[in-house]
Amino acid sequence: MTNTWGIPGTTFLAYYIGTMAAIVVLAAIHRRILFRGPRDVHVDNLNPQQVAYLSGGERLAVYAAMGGLRTAGTIGTGPGGTLVETGPLPPGATALDNALDNAARRGVRARELHDDFMVVSALDQIRDGLERLGLTVSPAQRREARIWGFVAGAVTLIGAARLVIGVANDKPVGYLFVCLVVSVVITIALLRVKRRATNSAVRALRTLRRSHDHLKPSQSPAYATYGVAGSAMGVALFGSASLYAIDPAFAAEAEVTRVAAYGYGDGGATAGATGSASGCSTGSCGGGGGCGGGGCGG
Amino acid sequence: MAEAVANAVSGYGVGIGWRPEIAGFVAGLPGLRFTEVVAESVHADGDLPAGLAALLDRGVTVVPHGVRLSLGGADPVEPARVRQLAAAAERLHAPLVSEHIAFVRAAGIEAGHLLPLPRSWEAVDAMVANVKRVQAELPVPIALEPIAALFDWPDDELDEARFITEILDRTGAGLLLDIANVYANARNRGTDPLTLLDSLPLDRVAYVHVAGGAEHGGLYHDTHTSPVPQPVLDLVTELCARHRPPALLLERDGDYPPARALTAELDAIAAAAGSPRVTA
Repeated sequence: MTNTWGIPGTTFLAYYIGTMAAIVVLAAIHRRILFRGPRDVHVDNLNPQQVAYLSGGERLAVYAAMGGLRTAGTIGTGPGGTLVETGPLPPGATALDNALDNAARRGVRARELHDDFMVVSALDQIRDGLERLGLTVSPAQRREARIWGFVAGAVTLIGAARLVIGVANDKPVGYLFVCLVVSVVITIALLRVKRRATNSAVRALRTLRRSHDHLKPSQSPAYATYGVAGSAMGVALFGSASLYAIDPAFAAEAEVTRVAAYGYGDGGATAGATGSASGCSTGSCGGGGGCGGGGCGG
Repeated sequence: MAEAVANAVSGYGVGIGWRPEIAGFVAGLPGLRFTEVVAESVHADGDLPAGLAALLDRGVTVVPHGVRLSLGGADPVEPARVRQLAAAAERLHAPLVSEHIAFVRAAGIEAGHLLPLPRSWEAVDAMVANVKRVQAELPVPIALEPIAALFDWPDDELDEARFITEILDRTGAGLLLDIANVYANARNRGTDPLTLLDSLPLDRVAYVHVAGGAEHGGLYHDTHTSPVPQPVLDLVTELCARHRPPALLLERDGDYPPARALTAELDAIAAAAGSPRVTA
């Protein structure tokens, strides 16, 4: 009985696990550098919709605008989850506010807002502005970060090949199989780079959130007192839960879904739920050491 | 003693009651020197309500305002509640605390809100005994706030001013005068608010509550959820002409209006009292 490729099972597994672990560590280091962002960034001058885009993406930016316009009495909900215009636009309305108001006049369904042409173009403006300020990770940087996913995928393929040969030759492959499952998970995690804000922007957001503590939904903020900007900022910094705090009936009828603000809430779980976080950037790649511990024989 | 209470918040101008819902608005008042927080929301250990610490760091005086002691109850005050009030005062470095001339529970049943006392000598005795128990534990003076009453008890032995003065005299406590209550009581009884104002020991006033209310079914309710009506502002002016209180505080407990409306209310109170504006 000869070893597959002339390598004993334990030796192969040791190298396999070591390689995967190295990929995870290198990816984490690479991302830390890649997503670092400029040293000094300021988010104080951003409008709430820009802050929302940064902390929760396009969906949260739309929700922030909805929160502001709801407090202003500009929009409400009609039959079938459509938006309706209920009043004039507040002073200082942004392109996104105008787009939502326009969509409301056309009776667009709230959950289809994100595909509305005017909304899409307003969101593009927000994204471009943030990118120019060095607050967001560029598509090119995301592509670069994804490289480690392909490397991990290649290693996984080698493992898969050995598994196939092992099965064909009636070799024990239980441990190898477990390691493969874990490495598939790692590969997918490394390929899914949805990071939006640079690390320095995330830090700036955290400071901004601290100075807007009073808008936390648990404080039951008086949104009428804080006005349009305060309501929108509440959504931007504390997620779509704020929209339910502003007007629960409106939020429910508009079918507002859960969007957390990056860096707020229950840590990793929140980051996962937003899909905006890459676990590896914080050095906590899920399953990275999953089949370590010397348990993999085969 | 009463003089000391009155001086404890001397020259603080106009303030607004701190509530979590409007914490951001309160924090944004540049001239704010004094606010009030519900004492029961401040715990000896654990974090201060978010935003309150920043106000303290800014040098804003924060007075704990108790609502659950039930000083007017026939039973002795609960020691744990007194300790909590004392701890809140220390935690906030408050120059004084305040509570109500009222009861909130009797025979173990919680009313859930402040109820007026019958104005009898017996009630005075019970109230005085409880206030003295509290004073023995408190690191700072206490001011007492008479509450609005929509009705008078049938067996009242003292009039309102005498009742209040008697309690203050025998305890040395300060007076937290709710000017909106003076207005509400006078209006609901069909009497002149100035008569009551003139019969109160105004030199004992530690600070003044100003609030809005609304009329329902022919009675004026001191709801704290409406704008301060002009007659109440006029009473502020009358009060200040007689004896300038050390501080005035706007109480708003719900149905919070846009920031500019709150700002306008604070400015109106400052104008009525002839105090500087705290909003700019």
